[in-house]
Amino acid sequence: MRREIALSGWILLLALGCAHPDRIVVGSKNFTESDLLGEIVAQQIERRAALPVERRFHLGGTFVCHHAITAGQIDLYVEYTGTAYTAVLKFPPALDPDSVYRAVAAEYARRFSLSWGKPLGFDNTFAILVRRADAERYGLKRISDLAPVVPRWHAGFGYEFLERADGFAGLARIYGLRFAAPPTAMDLGLTYRALGQRKVDVIAGNSTDGQIAALDLVALQDDRHYFPPYQAAVVSRAPMLSRYPTVAKALVELEGKMPDAEMRRLNALADVEHRDIAIIARDWLRANVP
Amino acid sequence: MQGIYGGGMSLLAFFARNSRELLGLVGQHVYLVAISTGAAIAIGVPLGILLTRRPAWRGPVLGLANVFQTVPSLALFGFLIPLPFIGGIGARTAIVALVLYALLPIVRNTYEGIAGVDPAVREAGRGMGMTDGQLLRLVELPLGLGVMLAGVRVATVVSVGTATIAAAIGAGGLGVYIFRGVATVDDTLILAGALPAALMALAADALLGLAERKLAWRSP
Repeated sequence: MRREIALSGWILLLALGCAHPDRIVVGSKNFTESDLLGEIVAQQIERRAALPVERRFHLGGTFVCHHAITAGQIDLYVEYTGTAYTAVLKFPPALDPDSVYRAVAAEYARRFSLSWGKPLGFDNTFAILVRRADAERYGLKRISDLAPVVPRWHAGFGYEFLERADGFAGLARIYGLRFAAPPTAMDLGLTYRALGQRKVDVIAGNSTDGQIAALDLVALQDDRHYFPPYQAAVVSRAPMLSRYPTVAKALVELEGKMPDAEMRRLNALADVEHRDIAIIARDWLRANVP
Repeated sequence: MQGIYGGGMSLLAFFARNSRELLGLVGQHVYLVAISTGAAIAIGVPLGILLTRRPAWRGPVLGLANVFQTVPSLALFGFLIPLPFIGGIGARTAIVALVLYALLPIVRNTYEGIAGVDPAVREAGRGMGMTDGQLLRLVELPLGLGVMLAGVRVATVVSVGTATIAAAIGAGGLGVYIFRGVATVDDTLILAGALPAALMALAADALLGLAERKLAWRSP
């Protein structure tokens, strides 16, 4: 009985969520790159499909976006294959980008009626970051160079990195990292600030992050290939795509157009030079998807 | 969906499996709330009394307390990290933020409680030859106590909820489960943090409500 009430509640929510005729709702997660990609997708739909687009940006992470799209509150957002694979589908981490993509696309279609577009082109994996001064003093280039210095170091990590199957525990094991004290668990955005202010010595950020250049940080090379692939791609509600074939066509045009360096450059434009996201997205679309 | 609606059992099972960790986090949470509310009382009550003596300061002081309320916690933490003594990462920074958030209801209610004392009663005290200190101690504080305690009660209950953000700066508490749950798309974990925090807020509210009634009886 309780299940039925719960179910009817969700159906009601779904019905309400779908009740936005001829309007595409684009979501994004609560960090710059996701907002940027959301804006690019939104503008692409506006100019190609000529449909009104509602932007629901900076939603509270994977958790909120996933619930929002399965409830029909948003129609599409940009997700990462590795995140969908381990955090949403709870599969153990895997390394081959193609098989991860195929498994995610199949499972999303089967379980949630969600459709994965082809990857946009870049891979935003975890990046182990240190201050440049430390990297030069201790000759740090690869993550394996960290092992001798970390017994005197303090780490600060976001909850996602500490909790995930492909996060800290495995990293420490694979690379033999033994910190003096357990890493401080804190908000991801604050770890950058704490590293810049010398409150911690090593953090785990995102490899395409604009802050890496802004704070003069060094991303250490994952020489033992620990981190799984995090290819970005647009996830859409399948019923929306079949109802609006022009949207589907507009999204296909974005596939493969965003290499790693380009994503880093756009993130830096937003985070370091504080340019308006709408203008960055417009200029990028003009130059790359004419 | 599964987590929220079919998850009653998995939540109990989670508590059973992690009872020691849960107790530790509850302890940290109580510590954060107790220290921060205590400090907010120590600062806020004298400040509220001062405002009744210096009415011109009322606008700026309450305005500032209002501003603290509106600064988002992550932004506040961002500002606090570089500061010496009160900043950095860990419990200290979280407590500073919680004190700033708790000040408004305490300062405001202390001021309102004392300012709301019937002027005739105050005049009667003066007429009996009471000094300002005696008037405060014997007339204004006892009569304003009910309103002041209501402010402390609001501040405490709100702090129990707000203290979950301490987990964003490495200070622990029940927010750890909430942040972990949000990061890993796990409803059970979120509830494991939110539910004990809600119960704690209810308990604090009931306890302080009891104190409020007890003390209100005793006051003349």
